[in-house]
Amino acid sequence: MSALWQVFQLIWRDQRTPLLRGAVLGVVVLLAGVALLGLSGWFITAAAAAGMAGVGVSFDVFRPSASVRFLALGRTVARYGERVLTHDATLRAFAALRVRLLQSCTRAPYDRLSRLRGPQMLNRLIADIDALDGLPLRLVLPLIAGITTHLLTFAVLWALAGLTIAATLALGFVGGGAVVLISAGRVGFAPSRRAELAAQAFRSRFIDLVQARGDLAVYGQLAVQKSAVLAADSRRQSARLAQDRVERRAGLALSCLGTGLATVALALGMALAQRGQLSPALAAMGFFAALALLETVSPLRRAVAELGRMTLAARRVVQGLSAPALQSGRSHAATALRFDAVSHRRPGAARPSLHPLSFTLHPGETLALAGPSGAGKSTALLLAAGLLHPSSGTIWLGDHPLPDWSEVALRAQLTLIPQRAALMAGSIRQALTLAAPEADDASLWAVLQAVALDQVIRTKGGLDAQLGPRGAGLSGGEARRLSIARALLRAPAILLLDEPTEGLDTAIARDVLHGIRRYLPQAAILTASHRPVELDWADIVRMIP
Amino acid sequence: MTQQDDLGSAKVLAELVAPERRALRRAAVLSGLAALIWPLQAALVAGALAELLTDAAPLWSHVAGFALLGVLRAVLNHWAEGIAFTAGLRVTSQCRAAIVVHEATRSNGPAAGPIAALAAEKLDALMPYVSRYAPAKARVMVVPALILALAFWHSWAVGVIFLMTGPLIPVFMALIGWAAQAASQRQMAEIASLNDLLVERLQALLDIRLLGAGAAVVNSFAEAADRLRAQTMAVLRVAFLSSAVLELFAAIGVAMVAVYVGFSLLGLLGFGSYATPLTPAAGIFLLLLAPEFYQPLRDLSAAWHDRAAALAVAVEWDEWHLRGDTPLLGQGAVAARLAGPADIVATGLKVRLGPHLLTLPDFSLAAGETLALLGPSGAGKTTLLRLLAGMLHPETGQIRVAGQPLNGQTADGWRARLGWMPQQPHFLNASLRHNLGFGRSGDLAAVLGAVSMQEVVAGLPQGLHTRLGEGGGGLSGGEARRLTLARALHARPDVLLADEPTADLDALTAEAITEGLLALAATGCSLIIATHDEALAARMHRVIRLEALV
Repeated sequence: MSALWQVFQLIWRDQRTPLLRGAVLGVVVLLAGVALLGLSGWFITAAAAAGMAGVGVSFDVFRPSASVRFLALGRTVARYGERVLTHDATLRAFAALRVRLLQSCTRAPYDRLSRLRGPQMLNRLIADIDALDGLPLRLVLPLIAGITTHLLTFAVLWALAGLTIAATLALGFVGGGAVVLISAGRVGFAPSRRAELAAQAFRSRFIDLVQARGDLAVYGQLAVQKSAVLAADSRRQSARLAQDRVERRAGLALSCLGTGLATVALALGMALAQRGQLSPALAAMGFFAALALLETVSPLRRAVAELGRMTLAARRVVQGLSAPALQSGRSHAATALRFDAVSHRRPGAARPSLHPLSFTLHPGETLALAGPSGAGKSTALLLAAGLLHPSSGTIWLGDHPLPDWSEVALRAQLTLIPQRAALMAGSIRQALTLAAPEADDASLWAVLQAVALDQVIRTKGGLDAQLGPRGAGLSGGEARRLSIARALLRAPAILLLDEPTEGLDTAIARDVLHGIRRYLPQAAILTASHRPVELDWADIVRMIP
Repeated sequence: MTQQDDLGSAKVLAELVAPERRALRRAAVLSGLAALIWPLQAALVAGALAELLTDAAPLWSHVAGFALLGVLRAVLNHWAEGIAFTAGLRVTSQCRAAIVVHEATRSNGPAAGPIAALAAEKLDALMPYVSRYAPAKARVMVVPALILALAFWHSWAVGVIFLMTGPLIPVFMALIGWAAQAASQRQMAEIASLNDLLVERLQALLDIRLLGAGAAVVNSFAEAADRLRAQTMAVLRVAFLSSAVLELFAAIGVAMVAVYVGFSLLGLLGFGSYATPLTPAAGIFLLLLAPEFYQPLRDLSAAWHDRAAALAVAVEWDEWHLRGDTPLLGQGAVAARLAGPADIVATGLKVRLGPHLLTLPDFSLAAGETLALLGPSGAGKTTLLRLLAGMLHPETGQIRVAGQPLNGQTADGWRARLGWMPQQPHFLNASLRHNLGFGRSGDLAAVLGAVSMQEVVAGLPQGLHTRLGEGGGGLSGGEARRLTLARALHARPDVLLADEPTADLDALTAEAITEGLLALAATGCSLIIATHDEALAARMHRVIRLEALV
């Protein structure tokens, strides 16, 4: 529940004015509805009484009939305005929320980022936020509008039809409505949560089935996976049925409440009229108002039936927004990179991912970390890039320890090319300018030449050649070189390369390595390598056990 | 969308709903009955209120009748909605199950994104249509006609007001329906493109951060998200506007009835009713009926919007449904190993690849032999491996495995003897332990040791309980590849099929994988390896060179 409240506060802070206006219009809609029915009932009954008494000519027909027309039109316009305002505000707040979630994603710790699964993340950014639209639109705003309407209606009815009828309706609707809605919320919480969890399990299992169909078939797991997907859907189905049952029972209870209170209002009115304490027209008004007041509670049933799903989504959204803030600090001159007895062990891991390591790397030097797979070469690079944090020891960049650098300054001075650099759909130009938005064509060609890719790109149609999703259209080696070119464009003072020539044949690998050095003569370069061609190229080779 | 397509998708939609026709008819009857109760309630209240104007005793029986009928109406509605909801749920679930079953038996399919979006989300758009349209239609058939008759019985003027304002509602509904459909199609397209954009960005988040491009990427996402908001608002605005217009007509109609009834009761209007002037009871009765005359028409036009969304889904369902494809052999289920020595004989294989008919060479392989398939991209290396695993039907020709033809009966048993290394590793959303062993018994530590991955796995945050990214995120390419070899070893295969096991790997890692493969061969397992790597091919007993497709 506190997560729901937090999300609502975010929405409220973002869109306070339109939501306030929408809430006011929501009250207008409900009040106009009550007034319209109440006034019409009073008008007809009063007109009939006047007609029977033979005083029809002196009866003021114009004000009531003009009011009826005004209320009817006003309600329609107010409803349109309220819907447009609140939906637009909610969608705007959600767009902003999605952007914040994505921002927070980019700050997530490396271990989370590298193992991020596309479908789950997409769930979070799309489905979770969509699940929350009921929070302002179907829960909070209608609740505010409903309560306000009851307060005002109570006051007016008290003045016109007396305290008994006014109090009966106000207490009956607010109290009875609260009992029905709260118990529906309680009972419906679990099934609505289960339905959402099952829907997400369905999606994630189904995507696995489609993507790994071949593997699953060979290992006899396709049938198992199919049943798992179908099981998720049938879980979802039964949860949806349970949720619908709760919602419909709440609807039934609210309908009966409405009928009951209208009946009571009618009976009270008749009794009072018979005793002459109330005119028949005002008795009719109480009954008609009661009919209209049902509109204040019945739309809420859907929102309370999906409280479980909304809470689940809100919790995940709040959690997603809580990624640590990016390192703030200052910008310094990055002269050298120094590791001072730096080691790393992941929480829960059986062994350290890097044993204590010390070295100093000066501008213009190339240092290669060599050693068997799993020795911690990549870990050392991730530590140097500030993506992981040392368990002990200090990394110095220039005269300052790494944590003193701001994220922006750090990225400007230091670039890491990870082992599996990702390319995206778009032109070659877009792929490159992702790293350097201002770069002109000449500098793009220069960097492509440095990684021996200029000829390849020319034959593919130049900088405007289009790549498919994930850089499809380039071979593994070409993609590798394009991602190196992209990083070089940032002209970092410190360049970190994780097995830069993996997948390149030796001759091209040598060209690329020398091209990198020619392009960045002053950079301090740290590589994780085990190919002889990379080790030959480095000035210093450091074995890590 | 042309008229023709529209008819086509309407037919598809009708077919999808057809199995639930009886349930929906029951829901429609109940819902129609519930709507017919209101005139009775209205008559009772009108009588009771009219009696108040005279000095007669209050009609308590009317009050009680009103309450009982109200409860009956609520119960009937509750019942009807339940039947309709269940029917809607069954329609969507059956579509969903059909997609899952079909996707689980086809040999090869399209990208996961669009089909998952159809199955997981878009099908839900059928629900409101299925559960609301039929009952709303039923109510439109009976309620307005009945109320119109009742109105004409009491006052022809009120009847004329209904007759004039009522039919405007369907006309506007149709006009606005067209706009709504166009707007929802634009919105669906925008949702699809935002999803595509996001999936790629999410997979490249680390690179984006390292290149200091986070702000730029977030900004472009913000623009896309805002475009989606604008498209969604366009759809909603049409929907809100249409319901406002309908409400307006209803409001005008009700206000006209109220004013006419008021004036007649006052005796200020001498026309509209028959011989006798309008009685108070009739006046109140007509006023109570007026909103209910318009309500079914408004419900139907709301359901008309649901129909526009359902039609869009039906089009997509139909496109998916009509796509021709070949099923894989067998079920992909656990089966007893096929008996006999693991010999393979392939004769006269031809397979269709898009427009081409690809001819594959005849060959036979005795148990324990190793074979390299060499050839340029597109020559059919991967296709041949897939044929041997029973994932693909040949157009002509036959594969015999362990002395029996490879077909639907033998495929699962044959695959129980296979190991498989795909070119692109994919890890299920489950622990690494499950991804390696699929819950079967076996010595995981030994197979991880055989591919020198024990140390790497021990360094993962939760060891064997770690969930990797889909493509093995958190590991290097070579490490992910070695895990697929470990998985194959764990299945204790008699034949290993490997697709480009050393592609994009440096020489050292490639050598480690090659050694692993040869060690497996030394235990008597046959190897069939599709590769570009001449060095790897040279270490196999035999090489088959496939020609490029002409």
